Amino acid sequence: MTGPEVSDGVPEEAYVAVLAGLSGMGPRRLRALLSHHVPSEAHAVVGGSAPPHPSVQRLLDSRRSGVHLGSTWRAEVARVDPAEVWSRCVRAGVMVVPYGSARYPTALLHDPVPPAVLFVRGDLTVLDRRRVGVIGTRNATRNGIATAEALGADLAAAGVTVVSGLASGIDGAAHRGAVRASGSPAAVVGNGPDRAYPRQHGQLWEEVAALGVLMSEWPPGVAPDAFRFPMRNRILAALSEVLVVVESRERGGSLLTVREAADRSVTVMAVPGSPRSRSSAGTNQLLCDGVAPVTCTDDILMALGLDTRRAGRAAFDPRPAPLGLEVAVLARCRRDPCTIDHVVDELGVTVAEAAMALARLERSGWLGESGGWFEVLEPWAMVP
Amino acid sequence: MFASVPSATILGAEGYPVVVEVHVGGGLPAFSMVGLPDESCREARDRVRAAIESTDRSWPQKRIVVNLAPPRHRKVGSGLDLAMAVGVLVAAGDIEPTAVRGLGFVGELGLDGSVRGVPGVAPMVGVLGELDVVVPVASLAEARVAARAGVRPVAHLSEVIAALTAEAPWPDHDESTTTTPHDQVPDLADVRGQPVPRRALEIAAAGGHHLLFVGPPGSGKTMLAQRLPGILPPLDRETALRSTMVHSAAGIPLPPGGLVRRPPFRSPHHTSSLVSIVGGGSSAMRPGEASIAHGGVLLLDELGEFPVGVLDALRQPLEEGAIHVARANSRAVLPARFLLVGATNPCPCGGGAPGECQCDDVRRQRYLRRLSGPLLDRFDLRVAVHRPGIDELIDGRGGESSAVVARRVERARAISNERGPLNGQLTGAELDRWAPLSDGARARLRHEMERGRLSGRGYHRIRRVARTLADLDPEPVEIVSESHVVEALSLRTRLGSSAGSAPERVA
Repeated sequence: MTGPEVSDGVPEEAYVAVLAGLSGMGPRRLRALLSHHVPSEAHAVVGGSAPPHPSVQRLLDSRRSGVHLGSTWRAEVARVDPAEVWSRCVRAGVMVVPYGSARYPTALLHDPVPPAVLFVRGDLTVLDRRRVGVIGTRNATRNGIATAEALGADLAAAGVTVVSGLASGIDGAAHRGAVRASGSPAAVVGNGPDRAYPRQHGQLWEEVAALGVLMSEWPPGVAPDAFRFPMRNRILAALSEVLVVVESRERGGSLLTVREAADRSVTVMAVPGSPRSRSSAGTNQLLCDGVAPVTCTDDILMALGLDTRRAGRAAFDPRPAPLGLEVAVLARCRRDPCTIDHVVDELGVTVAEAAMALARLERSGWLGESGGWFEVLEPWAMVP
Repeated sequence: MFASVPSATILGAEGYPVVVEVHVGGGLPAFSMVGLPDESCREARDRVRAAIESTDRSWPQKRIVVNLAPPRHRKVGSGLDLAMAVGVLVAAGDIEPTAVRGLGFVGELGLDGSVRGVPGVAPMVGVLGELDVVVPVASLAEARVAARAGVRPVAHLSEVIAALTAEAPWPDHDESTTTTPHDQVPDLADVRGQPVPRRALEIAAAGGHHLLFVGPPGSGKTMLAQRLPGILPPLDRETALRSTMVHSAAGIPLPPGGLVRRPPFRSPHHTSSLVSIVGGGSSAMRPGEASIAHGGVLLLDELGEFPVGVLDALRQPLEEGAIHVARANSRAVLPARFLLVGATNPCPCGGGAPGECQCDDVRRQRYLRRLSGPLLDRFDLRVAVHRPGIDELIDGRGGESSAVVARRVERARAISNERGPLNGQLTGAELDRWAPLSDGARARLRHEMERGRLSGRGYHRIRRVARTLADLDPEPVEIVSESHVVEALSLRTRLGSSAGSAPERVA
């Protein structure tokens, strides 16, 4: 083993990217490789120009579907130029975060199958917030799309990071909602983070990467092969504190994510749907199996143990600012609940003026009246 | 030997002329009375005999028959005593029949011959028309108010006999001895703070709006209501006369001068019977509190504690301004146009600031259910009264005096009098004509109705009150503006919403 070494101006991360892109290279194998060699050395080992560690030798000798791994990899490594892979990473703004790096998300550190490396666009610190996964079928109903979008927006407004897969259907809708509410979404995708899949989500990818974080286990340039998505789902489940399934068919991919979540003791919740909607068959089955239903965003916030009323919602107050006498009246009401009599007495105005100011404040939602008493309403107590 | 002496009796608030006919004839000494006297009237026999004997005249030892004509009506009370005594003396020949010509007699006799006052002298004297009326000194003032001819006050039967036998002139009794002290009306200046209830009183007085105070015990509801008569304008001549008649009939002490000029204030307790409030009862059809309050204020404190029957019975006078009392053989119409002031707690425990009420929803609903219904609809103003703070009680400045407020009330009433009825009695069509709304006012009312906080009835009430507010403006305006509507809305607290959980009652 040698120390970190930069040959031809190519950093160590470039070699990780090359190795992660090899066919048949999964998180377990890559971790085994990198736990015995530094990346450049591992690259050389796989390429056959350096002696492998004994346990790495066993790995290279193993076979996958009848094919000798060592020779497959050697051929692939020979075809790939690390400098080119690196420049692709740099162009796409992709950060390489290997297992053990200081930036590696803590939520994945103790996972049963942690990704050996993450290719990240955006800001990983959004994962330090409370995280809720919102997932579902790609064949969503309009209703499901709307629900996912609303949940995404509400959760984001409450300061929660919405974790999803950026797929079409529910996943994308949840992220759209989060983006709309200027939240900080987190996306885990099943191909290289440089190319949007599905295509029509190109803009959404950029927005998610700009506002939050977009990550993948796979280096730039890796195609969205079907086998990568179940692996992606395990990261998604691992990153979620609560996993919400909005819509899923009776044997949908979302249910695989649910199983991964169950393995990791992540709370699963499901949005109930009509028994006649096939898109809700899976979620309704989940409910039958005993997961908690989601009837509104607060249900999720409660599951997170958040104060549903305060969760960052004061950020935007749509009420018109009080004017003139209303300012003084509102200030008076802030002290303690009061009646018109108090306002008239303490502010020295006429009954008509006081009534007018109180009526305006009540109409614009600043005050609530009950039995002649006026109380200041907090934004969350407003009745729309 | 026969004598016929005019007198009168009372039914409701009206007098009925009665001719007392006395026949003294042969036969065993006896005294019988016919012509439908009631028990108090029948007892007159013993009083009349004792009184006559106290004047050293002898009781005729003959058969005496007294007929009270017309015999159709039941005769009530002791006011016929004096007429009977005079009739017996005339029929017995002690007094010349010509001496009583042109005279009517009203008064009760004591066993010692003294002449005592009776209730209802005013209406009784009123129906005696052109006759000079001999009345008890105690009833002189009220007799003077109603009399169209002379009034002869007497204190003792011997004075009457002396005058009728021309032994002495009619006595000249000093009027001042007959007056009763009239208590002062409390002044609004005594009230500390409470700007909104004060304003409500002013509006109620100016527009004739019925007023409901809703507030915890000790918040001053009664104290405020007592000050309402003080800001009402004095009664006009006609109302004053009718009030005087009612007061006289009910035996209420009359003010100096006899005429009730100040608006009366009545506050019957909630244990009062139905009859005591609406009138009727004995065959005299005595006026009830509602009639005594005619032209003034009827305060029903603890409105919810009144029996449902009493509250229901008040609906007729609130609509018609009169109470029709009918019994099997008599019928009376009693005037009863009053300003109704109700006072009630918001809930059994008295309520208070949000969160202080200790009542559960069921109790609160049960309490308010008694208030609900048509009676509640009569209150144009429903004002929440709050316990004044300690600061207000100790340092609070007294507000304007009743005199200042009364001047504004009078000015506003002058404006509404030009239109016609009081604002509190305006109908929907009249409101459209006399209380047009500005665009802002209309929008505000629409907003309230859309939010389900204002019903159709409530809409008219708000418009009536807003009309009065516009009349009360320093610069009275014809078009009702938004600020009038908003103020009117603020004077209409909702009942049953003191806690957020209680369902709101649309008012």
